[in-house]
Amino acid sequence: MEPAEAEFLAEKELVTIVPNFSLDRIHLIGGDLGPFNPGLPVEVPVWLAINLKQRQKCRLIPPEWMDVEKLEEIRDQERTEDTFTPMPSPYYMELTKLLLNYASDNIPKADEIRTLVKDTWDTRIAKLRLSADSFVRQQEAHAKLDNLTLMEINTIGTFLTQALDHMYKLRTNLQPGESARSQDF
Amino acid sequence: MSEAYFPVGPGLGLEENFLSLDDILMSQEKLPGRAESTLPRLAFALGQGAGTGDSIPEGSNLEIPLWLAKGLHDSKRRIISVELPKIYKEAWRTVFSADANVVDLHKMGPYYYGFGSQLLNFVNPENPEIAQTILQTFISRFRRIMDSSQNAYNEDTSALVARLDELERALFRAGQKGLNDFQCWEKGQASQITASSLVQNYGKRKFTDMDG
Repeated sequence: MEPAEAEFLAEKELVTIVPNFSLDRIHLIGGDLGPFNPGLPVEVPVWLAINLKQRQKCRLIPPEWMDVEKLEEIRDQERTEDTFTPMPSPYYMELTKLLLNYASDNIPKADEIRTLVKDTWDTRIAKLRLSADSFVRQQEAHAKLDNLTLMEINTIGTFLTQALDHMYKLRTNLQPGESARSQDF
Repeated sequence: MSEAYFPVGPGLGLEENFLSLDDILMSQEKLPGRAESTLPRLAFALGQGAGTGDSIPEGSNLEIPLWLAKGLHDSKRRIISVELPKIYKEAWRTVFSADANVVDLHKMGPYYYGFGSQLLNFVNPENPEIAQTILQTFISRFRRIMDSSQNAYNEDTSALVARLDELERALFRAGQKGLNDFQCWEKGQASQITASSLVQNYGKRKFTDMDG
C-alpha cells in the first residue's frame, strides 16, 4: 500500500467545521451529513472539510488532540516507554499533513505541532526498527506490536516482509530432509 | 500497483527459479572442481586447451560454472567432483561468525547467499555448518542494511551498497523505496501526475508540434 492510499483511508475520519453557508441534510451512500447552518459547528468527514475549506466555505476546528501540550505529553510518553503508546487517532500522521497543509490558518501554533508530530513519528519508527531487528536476530516466529498505525506499517512493511522471506528460505536450507534432486541420464 | 512489471525473484533455496535472471547470473559463478575421468575433446569448451581435439586428462583441476557442475555431478558416473569455494570453507566461516559486517560480500562473489544455498545440493559433510553460517551472516548484516536503507534520503548510496551482495542490494532498494515513497508523499508530490517512465522515451510529438 502506498502513502497516498493510506491518506485516502484517513480522509474518512470525522472533523468539526463551522460552515458559512446553509444547506439541508444531504444523503450520501455512506450516511447523512448536515444540516449546515452558518456559524454552527457540524461534524463532517475530512475529505469534505478540505474541499469546503478550499472553496472558502468553512472554518476548520482542529481535533482536540492537535494541541501543543497534549502532543508534548504524547511525545514524552513515547520516549519513555519501550512499547508503543496508543495514538489519539489511528491516522495521526495523515491528518496532521492534511490539516496543516490546507487549514494552517485555523490551527494555532501550526509549526510547533508539525515539529512535535514529526518527533513522535521518528521515535516510533526507531522503536519499530529496534523491534524488527530483535525479531530477526532471535529468529522468532511471531511478533505482536500494539498501537501501530497504517502509515508506519507501510513505510517498513515491504522491506521487512522481503527480509523475513529470505530468512525463511535460508532456514529451510537447514533441514537435511529431502535429498538433492539430480538428473538421471 | 505502481510498478510496470514484476520481475521473477531468485529461488534462494535448494531449487532455483528457472525464469529468474538473478538465478541465471548466479549459476554462472565458477566452482573449483576436478575431472574424475578423461574428458575427450572437451578442453576447448572448458577453456583449457588451444585445439578442438584436446582432451582433459583425468585428475586435472577445473573451474566449472555452477549450472554445469550441477548437471555433471553424479556420484555413480564420476565425471567431475566439486570442492567448496574458499569463502564457504572453515577459515572464512570463522571470519563470518566473528563479525559479518566487515566482510565485503560483493567482492567475495556477488551471490553469496544464492550460491551458498545451491552448494547444499552437493553431498558434503560440511553442509549443515555452511547453511548455519549463511543464515547467521544474513541475520547479523540485517541491522546495518535496515538502518542504512531507511536513513539515506537523497544521498549518494554507492558507498553504502558497495559491500553488499545482490540479495542484500535488492533488500536495500526495497527499504529505500519505502522511505522515498513516504518522503515524496509528505512533500505532496504523491498527488502530482507525472509521465510514466515507460513512455517518457517514446518521443511522441507534443501538441504544439502537430500540424493543422
